[in-house]
Amino acid sequence: MAIDRRLLLNVDWGLLLAALLLSGIGVLTILSATHGGRFAGIHNRQLYALGLGLLGLLITLTLDYRRLADRSPLLYVGIVAALLGVLLFGPRIAGTRRWFLMGPLGQVQPSEFAKLVVALLLAKVFSEYRRETLGLRDVVAPGAAVGLVILLIAAEPDLGTAACLVPMFLAVAFLAGLRMRAVLALLTVMVVTGGIWWQFAAMPYQKQRVYNFLEPGRDPQGAGWQKNQSQIAVGSGGFLGKGYRQGSQSQLGYLPARQTDFIFSVLAEETGFLGVAVVLGLYLFVLWRSFETALLARDRVGAFVVAGLTATLAFQVVYNVAMVAGLVPVKGLPLPLMSYGGSSVLSSLLSLGLILNVRMRRFAN
Amino acid sequence: MRLYEDLRGVQQRVSVLQSGTAGLLGLLLAAFWYLQVVRVGYYRMLAENNHKREVRIPASRGPIFDRNGRILVENRSSFNIVLSTEHAKDLDHSAFQVASLLGLGRELSRQRLTGPRFRSVVVKADASEADVAVIEARRLELPEASVDVVPLRSYPLGAAAAHVLGRVGEATEKQLESKAFEGVDPGSIVGQAGIEAHYNRLLMGRDGYRRAIVNSRGVEVREDSRQLPTDGPAATLTLDGRLQAAMEEAMAGLAGSAVALDPQTGEVLGMVSSPAYDPNLFSAGIDLGTWSSLVRDPKTPLINRVIQGQYPAGSTFKVVTALAALQEGVIGASTSFHCPGYLNVYGTLRRCHKADGHGTLDLARAIALSCNVYFYQVGVRLEIERISRYAKLLGLGGATGIDLPGEVSGLIPSPEWKLRVLKTPWFPGETVSVAIGQGQVLVTPMQMARLAAVVANGGYLVRPHLLRGEPTGEDRQGLDLKPATLETVRAAMLAVVREGTGRRAQLPGFEVAGKTGSSQVVAHERLERDKTAPELQPHGWFLCFAPADRPRIAMAVLVEHGRSGSESAAPVAGRILARYFGLANPSPPAAAPAIPPDGE
Repeated sequence: MAIDRRLLLNVDWGLLLAALLLSGIGVLTILSATHGGRFAGIHNRQLYALGLGLLGLLITLTLDYRRLADRSPLLYVGIVAALLGVLLFGPRIAGTRRWFLMGPLGQVQPSEFAKLVVALLLAKVFSEYRRETLGLRDVVAPGAAVGLVILLIAAEPDLGTAACLVPMFLAVAFLAGLRMRAVLALLTVMVVTGGIWWQFAAMPYQKQRVYNFLEPGRDPQGAGWQKNQSQIAVGSGGFLGKGYRQGSQSQLGYLPARQTDFIFSVLAEETGFLGVAVVLGLYLFVLWRSFETALLARDRVGAFVVAGLTATLAFQVVYNVAMVAGLVPVKGLPLPLMSYGGSSVLSSLLSLGLILNVRMRRFAN
Repeated sequence: MRLYEDLRGVQQRVSVLQSGTAGLLGLLLAAFWYLQVVRVGYYRMLAENNHKREVRIPASRGPIFDRNGRILVENRSSFNIVLSTEHAKDLDHSAFQVASLLGLGRELSRQRLTGPRFRSVVVKADASEADVAVIEARRLELPEASVDVVPLRSYPLGAAAAHVLGRVGEATEKQLESKAFEGVDPGSIVGQAGIEAHYNRLLMGRDGYRRAIVNSRGVEVREDSRQLPTDGPAATLTLDGRLQAAMEEAMAGLAGSAVALDPQTGEVLGMVSSPAYDPNLFSAGIDLGTWSSLVRDPKTPLINRVIQGQYPAGSTFKVVTALAALQEGVIGASTSFHCPGYLNVYGTLRRCHKADGHGTLDLARAIALSCNVYFYQVGVRLEIERISRYAKLLGLGGATGIDLPGEVSGLIPSPEWKLRVLKTPWFPGETVSVAIGQGQVLVTPMQMARLAAVVANGGYLVRPHLLRGEPTGEDRQGLDLKPATLETVRAAMLAVVREGTGRRAQLPGFEVAGKTGSSQVVAHERLERDKTAPELQPHGWFLCFAPADRPRIAMAVLVEHGRSGSESAAPVAGRILARYFGLANPSPPAAAPAIPPDGE
């Protein structure tokens, strides 16, 4: 393999260790949330996904990110094809077409890998603008490319994952020198688009979620249930928590999606504010070190790849945790590294792989 | 050679993103501090309410016995189908399913299901075993429906003594707000009438509870804690089941009431108000149709006529007038007046019921034949103030204080009362009406039984009571009546049954002392016009005590629209006494010699 021994010395072991700690805490929390129930034993599947993810991370390390960025148009074509394929041929699961069934690998969700590809593509395109400031016209082409992927993912439908690409695009465009005014203009366009979507394309359940967020008391047994129950779990955890496997909300089934999107709620109930502070501290460490990698990157491509991926990770962490605290409407968005779900774990670890890749090669040719 | 890009601008902007992310995470941490440290109490409470369900374990009400240990009220186990409104996600749907399983139709009103104070609602009380099987078989589909085993009040004697025992029912909103029901949980079964209501607190005992941990589907996961209920203690009444049965039998088919006291202690030995109702109908919650038919029944079966029926006293009041006159020395035992069949009182011609007059008679004979003219003469001499004072002394015009709810006080008129209430002065002519128990005089059968007891026990006013216990000083109050006064009236009452208007209460070889009476329902002239209308007939009274020499029972009988006491009430009393003392049945009414009707 074309991997220099010196490169290993430059791997950010601290970042990797923090990520593994979060994954480990995630596995334990999944175990607490599911033992003795319908999903008992799925923590083993999570461990298996983590192993696979680490393997993928190692493989990513061996490939120079610049080569990957150079090949991103090809990867882009491939991922668009995969997204089309899943829309056309994917099995319908819970009313959505998000997954391919791939034998021993289980369900594979192409949209998770789309993040990596889009990050590489955006980095390549924006790094080629050799100017300090960019105007709106400069972002039309990459915007359209990202927009196509967003549309394909939103059509599955999987708004959560689709939304993750927006901060990535904005972050990279911002770093590349897009003027603040232009960023604001883009946000305005998105709000208008969102309004049109609300008016003509939003599903009733999506509207319900927004209504219930704005007015949680209107239907406590129905769709507002998730938000209320999560807040109760969090608040009743107190400073020290109710103890591992002792959370009444988690253990008695009051928390919905507790092993996936609401895993942080289980953690907050059982380990209290102390556990929340430790885990948020670990996430801050991971994100801070990732942005640091962008600062240390030897070239624009590297900085953009890292910043794009980190922006997406940060968006997911902040949105998911805010949702658990009842601060934003409920949306199907997993917590990176901790939520149960193979594709999410794989994509998070591959993202970290790319970030480590850039840091590792900051001195290399 | 290495070509380094100028990345300073990019790096500046990365720092912005880096700090922004750190700032957002800091804000989130602050939000969690607020939720988990500042508001922890509030959310702890919500979490508790979420998963703890408290179920009341109702205590059995104390059983009730008669004085001989015979069971009057007991409890039996019954099944309630209960719907928990707490966790049901789609209450309407569950309610509809349960209702159709039980064949209930759409009676489960939404309002009842969403009542804020109830966490579970009894859908069907006293359910059959088939109903229970239907619900038990669907435990998994309908976890919000469950079966509770609860003690249900049972009255093995049915309608007998219904007005004494009373009935039970779910505590009403109004009751829950009252002081007497402080601390009683909504949905509790409480006494609603009679002994059940008066001694509700005593009989209730203390409910227990069971706290369970339930999961999000409302299925119980495990028990948290439990407190067993303390059942109510047994109560023993003064009622004598044998006498009660005799009274029920004698009053069967009549409207009216009968009440018997132990004249020495005031213990109520038997009490019947007729028609009655079956208190078992109420135990499991009465349906609206049955309830309204009971309430609207013109025969008022829910009214306890013994303490809630107010009637003109009629000639039974002559006992009061006689006691007052003798005690005041207005007349003596041998004082005689002449009855020509009428008397001119203050310019008004007052008739006796015997048109050709009783001739000259003394007090004993005047009472025995119920001569009105004799008592007009006494009334004129006594005057209203003294009649009124003695009537009140003898317990009329005021509640007797019996341990039953809803007792009324009756009315003894006086000049002071008339001026205050009717705003008119007293006319001397009214005094003679009062002297024979007409006018505005209103009494209850309970008061009249107590009056009989005063004569029987030698001048003590007893407090009638139903709960058996140690005798207390408050149960007897000496009236300081002269022995001669009492002896004269006693002898006169003996004469009533021996040779007067009360002959139909005669029993072979057994002395009964009594007094008949009839109380007008309408004015004399109106009755003359329509002699046969049953609802216009006067009520028949009979008050008595027996055996006359050593009285063990003092009794009042009232037969509504019985025409006269001698025709209706005296034979009823005779039959009751015969049964109670184990004597031969008195001759049937048809074979009895014609008896002149008594005074009106």
